[in-house]
Amino acid sequence: MELLAQGIASGVLIGGLYALMSLGLSLSWGALKIINLAHFSFILLSAYLVYQLTVSFDVDPLLTLIVVVPLFFVVGSLLQIFFHWAKLDEFTSLIVTFGFFIILQSMMRTVWSADFRRIGSELNPYGTESIFVGSIALPLPQLLAFVVALVIAIAMTFLLSRSYFGKAVRAVSEDLEMARAFGVDPRRVAVILAGLSTAFSGLAGVFIAVGQTIFPGLAVGWFGIVFSVVILGGLGQTMGALTAGVIVGMAAGAAAVIWGPLAAPLVTFLILIAALLFRPEGLFSRKSTA
Amino acid sequence: MSGRARILVGFVVAAVVLGLVPALRERLDFPTFYLIFLFTIFFWVSQASSWNILTGFSGYFSFGQGAWYGIGVYTVGVLVGKRGWPFLVAVPLGGLIAAAVGLLLGVVVFRLRRLSGEIFALTTLAVAFVLASLARLTSVIDGGTGIFMTGTPLPGFLGDYTTAMYRLTMGIAFITVLAAYLIHSSRLGWGLFAIRDDETVAAGLGVPVFRHKMIALGTNSFLAGLMGGVWSLQLGFVTVDDVFNIRVPLFVILMSVLGGMRHWMGPVVGAVIITTLSDRLNSAGLADVNQIIIGSLLVILVLAVREGIYVRMRDRWLTTLITFSAVMALVMGLGLNDSLISDFAYSMVATVLVLLIPDQAWQSVRGRGPGPPEVEANEVAGATP
Repeated sequence: MELLAQGIASGVLIGGLYALMSLGLSLSWGALKIINLAHFSFILLSAYLVYQLTVSFDVDPLLTLIVVVPLFFVVGSLLQIFFHWAKLDEFTSLIVTFGFFIILQSMMRTVWSADFRRIGSELNPYGTESIFVGSIALPLPQLLAFVVALVIAIAMTFLLSRSYFGKAVRAVSEDLEMARAFGVDPRRVAVILAGLSTAFSGLAGVFIAVGQTIFPGLAVGWFGIVFSVVILGGLGQTMGALTAGVIVGMAAGAAAVIWGPLAAPLVTFLILIAALLFRPEGLFSRKSTA
Repeated sequence: MSGRARILVGFVVAAVVLGLVPALRERLDFPTFYLIFLFTIFFWVSQASSWNILTGFSGYFSFGQGAWYGIGVYTVGVLVGKRGWPFLVAVPLGGLIAAAVGLLLGVVVFRLRRLSGEIFALTTLAVAFVLASLARLTSVIDGGTGIFMTGTPLPGFLGDYTTAMYRLTMGIAFITVLAAYLIHSSRLGWGLFAIRDDETVAAGLGVPVFRHKMIALGTNSFLAGLMGGVWSLQLGFVTVDDVFNIRVPLFVILMSVLGGMRHWMGPVVGAVIITTLSDRLNSAGLADVNQIIIGSLLVILVLAVREGIYVRMRDRWLTTLITFSAVMALVMGLGLNDSLISDFAYSMVATVLVLLIPDQAWQSVRGRGPGPPEVEANEVAGATP
């Protein structure tokens, strides 16, 4: 019983991290119609930057947020300006961002080599810390990631549904020409949104650097999980991504307990297939998001 | 001679010439390395062309090439490497299993109404990782230990190992390219092009979209698995990390995008260029830079020559011919390189660079105003809406 409760708790928490990793891709796909595969390397790049900053300057790893997150906001915005200039459609974006993914991966392999890296415990007060609720341990890095994901999901939901910016985003993603006719500058909206979604990926990288060992091959392993979360949650739906992240996290956690850690990708994929068969528009959408 | 007959004669001539190469090796005594280089090109020509049958023709973007290829490799690995089955029985089985898995995925995804293109792309991306974890988990397949393929007995009539590999890969490459050509010029091909342009309209006009997509996917996965099975020998030691990685899907995408996805010759041209380039970079000790160059090429090419280099080659065939032979003569005359492959690589790069000049700039260089772009019947049908 206790093992099960622990398993569920870990699953929920890791789900928060999955959601944080998926938010950027979900937003850029849902609202900007760009399937940005570079997000995977952005997450890993951010983790490496956090590692490097912490090790080189001897700072608290969470403090690196101040540098990393704005940096990724800028990178994302610049990339979006480039996409606009190049006039990419959904499929070309897939190829081009795949190219970026490959370039960034090779660069990371060149700079940080293929070795396993982890911020030493003397620099990383969070890495091994856990908060206990009864007898259930909640690892601090994942707890923090979960809280951040929750805050972002709620904030983004409000931002997208209540604010002028949110209305503009929805208008642009539904009918670009019409939005332009009503005085929305689609380019500006897209640049800000792309910046935000890349910043979320940067944020995910911070918690990954704090919580686990990093190596260049890590990014490829995220594909299955993140796509399941994005599709299950519905494109561009932030609360959906969080819920889907928790579901996938719990299922993968349970699979890991029962069949061993290697079974997790298999279960994630089965969830993805099931989702495609029965709810291709995502679990939580009332009407078409396409 | 009609266009079709001319192309079929071209196939026969190419097959005869390339088929004579192993015999020539004994006569002229050129290094074995050339043969290996050629069969590496056959491998990639076949992989890229089979990928293009699905993605180039129907527009359904697939990252699944690595999965189909990997199924072929592992089928032969398990049946031949572990259980001692005859090689030539296991290879077609690999193709069939790959096709079965591909079609299963197709049944799930192709029935979706909305977003089926995007979801297909991403699901195929996930398939390889799932297969990788499956292979790691089950000791019947791999179990994390890898499979030794060295010393696999080959039927005697194929010759020694290098010659046998050359003949097998050449055979599959020809089957693949021929299949691509025949589909391209058949009703099936026209149906696929219609799907690529607008699936709803195609379905409304009576194209059996589901069946067409399944045939394309089945052909693609079968041929990829077939070649994968043969290639397991060249790997020597089959491991999960080596087989189910991003390399095969990355390279076939790059080759087809470079050569052009709208014509059956595009991936062939792309495969020859990329394989040669990659081979030279690796032998110059630039393996790390290789991937960065490949990634950058992908980005630049998608933006600079969307229709692919093959179309430009055909439009400017005289320039292509002159540039290539001039640089080839120059490089060979100067004796800069010790290898014929390097000479070939230099002339090719020079030719590609000339072909990269945008159409408008090209027209003004030649002293003509920018005229209307020349388009073929096929491309008119294939123009994106």
